[in-house]
Amino acid sequence: MADSVDRNSILGWLVDPLSSTRASAEAAFQFTADRRAWLAPVGIGIALLAISAVGSVLDPKQFFFSYLTGWSFLLTTAVGGLFFLFFQHLTKAAWSVTTRRINEALVWAFPLLALLGIPILFGMHDLYHWTHAELYDPSSPQYDEILAGKRSYLNTPFWAIRMVLYFALWTFISYRLYTLSVRMDVEGPGEAGDGIPAQLRSTSAWGLPLSAVATAFCSYDVLMSTDPHWFSTIFGIYFFSGGILAAVSAIALFALLLQQTGGMLQGAVTAEHYQDLGKFMFGFVVFWAYIAFSQYMLYWYGGIPEEIVWYQHRLEGAWAWHSALLLVMHFIVPFLILLPRFTKRSTPILGVMAVWLIGMHWFDIHWIVRPVMSDAATFHWLDFTTWLGLTGVFGGFVMYRLRRHALVPQQDPYLADSLHFENT
Amino acid sequence: MLDELTTEVKASMGIYESDAEQVYGLLAEFSNPGELMHAAEATREKGYRHFDAHSPFPIHGMDRAMGLGNSKVGFFAFGGGVTGLATGYLLQWWTSAVDYPINISGKPFFAVEPSVPIMFELTILFAAFGAVAGMLALNGLPRPYNPLFYSDRFRRATDDGFFLHVAASDPQFDPETTAQDLRELGARHVELVQDDGSAEV
Repeated sequence: MADSVDRNSILGWLVDPLSSTRASAEAAFQFTADRRAWLAPVGIGIALLAISAVGSVLDPKQFFFSYLTGWSFLLTTAVGGLFFLFFQHLTKAAWSVTTRRINEALVWAFPLLALLGIPILFGMHDLYHWTHAELYDPSSPQYDEILAGKRSYLNTPFWAIRMVLYFALWTFISYRLYTLSVRMDVEGPGEAGDGIPAQLRSTSAWGLPLSAVATAFCSYDVLMSTDPHWFSTIFGIYFFSGGILAAVSAIALFALLLQQTGGMLQGAVTAEHYQDLGKFMFGFVVFWAYIAFSQYMLYWYGGIPEEIVWYQHRLEGAWAWHSALLLVMHFIVPFLILLPRFTKRSTPILGVMAVWLIGMHWFDIHWIVRPVMSDAATFHWLDFTTWLGLTGVFGGFVMYRLRRHALVPQQDPYLADSLHFENT
Repeated sequence: MLDELTTEVKASMGIYESDAEQVYGLLAEFSNPGELMHAAEATREKGYRHFDAHSPFPIHGMDRAMGLGNSKVGFFAFGGGVTGLATGYLLQWWTSAVDYPINISGKPFFAVEPSVPIMFELTILFAAFGAVAGMLALNGLPRPYNPLFYSDRFRRATDDGFFLHVAASDPQFDPETTAQDLRELGARHVELVQDDGSAEV
């Protein structure tokens, strides 16, 4: 790879592997807001995480469950963004070129997420029942035959190895997709056959199946194993479907923020692009519901005790309200709102829907994680401080990356098509 | 009142009524898609509402030039979808819980959960029916008879001809001045089409 763009410092590498290419960005694609655009959310995020740290002393168990919820929310969003980026490259999508840099900035998140994931390691005992040693001691009254049978997979060293593998893979792929695209801003696309666009496509081509496997197993390890007796083979797709919905919503939200409050991307991201992002939001709302229902219906039909235990927690007792709310607010209402054409082209409505769906994705993760801790269906203040704190840091560094480079891949061969894109 | 409404609805579907003297309208031929689009735009700006464009292929931007607005097919599809959803629900409830209840391993006669796939499928099916039927209705299709077929030139609309048809039912229509307007817009050829089978230049 030609070194037309320098590397960032070692610590800076966590949030942006490349040094700033701002100077070479065309005037129309410059990030014009000042550094408060990223410092403010990061600062607020760190403050909220500091408050959460106090909570971790007062109520460690609650802290770990809240933290896992917030962290999984961001992890799924980043993974969803990675898949969305694969799709754009593999289909040679022209329409999305002007919003692709936002997608790329969202995707260089895995090193930071790995760092932010460290607190979870201290809460393994609370979060993951299968880490308890007495379960595997046949003389102990807690001996659990089923978990003993799963021990060759569900044990801490192997879990840690797998997590390292997932993050190494995602970091490597996102490094390729992010740095190649930024380098193209400076170097140009190169020759048609083996230039940068072709390299982006080939990375996406092998990255897609490997990431699919990693995503499925990661969903089992991070979320499904919080209830280690239960199993669902479709869980990985469920994990993906919510994540890509949140990622597309986040891309739309960042575009709206840059444009409506910052006055950037004028003429680059138009109602046509918002309509297409809105179509994807609509599509993934339906896809999420389809997958969620597919998982539920099979277990409902089978009615086998070890399979329905997970739904029993969530559909009987206090959590039933959360389940009902999830159906109405994560599917029915956004489905009807995003159905007509004009709502997807209206920036206020689309902005509200993007925030709504991001919030509902967190609610979905909360619905997966929290019932494991207790039958009382409540929110704890730590749920919000950890979620918003992590999201502030995460979102702030997306802004940081956007500020350091052109806001669109300015030398992409399909940029002109994207700028003149119109829905028929 | 009702007659006027019918005329307007039919006109929105591209079906225009002839006037008392059997005049169906003026058919103007243009040399290329650009001129046709420009002519359609100018005709709309002059205040005509009952006119239609005919070309061998879709012309990008023509719907905007003609002032057609967004398609209304979506409403038909939505109506079809809701009908399908309700049909799927009622069908399964009535057949399995009312008309012929069978006890299958103690499961309820009717429950929403296993019914959702059929409700979903019928939603899609009926929405597709609604979309196709709505598209045909809004286009006034199928339509085996059209007075424009009397024009020999009009055959080229499926080959290399670009035509604008201004209907006699338009309140602003006048055989002389409208023909003059069309010529000014660059029409290569203007003919008066009549519903009794004659087409004169």
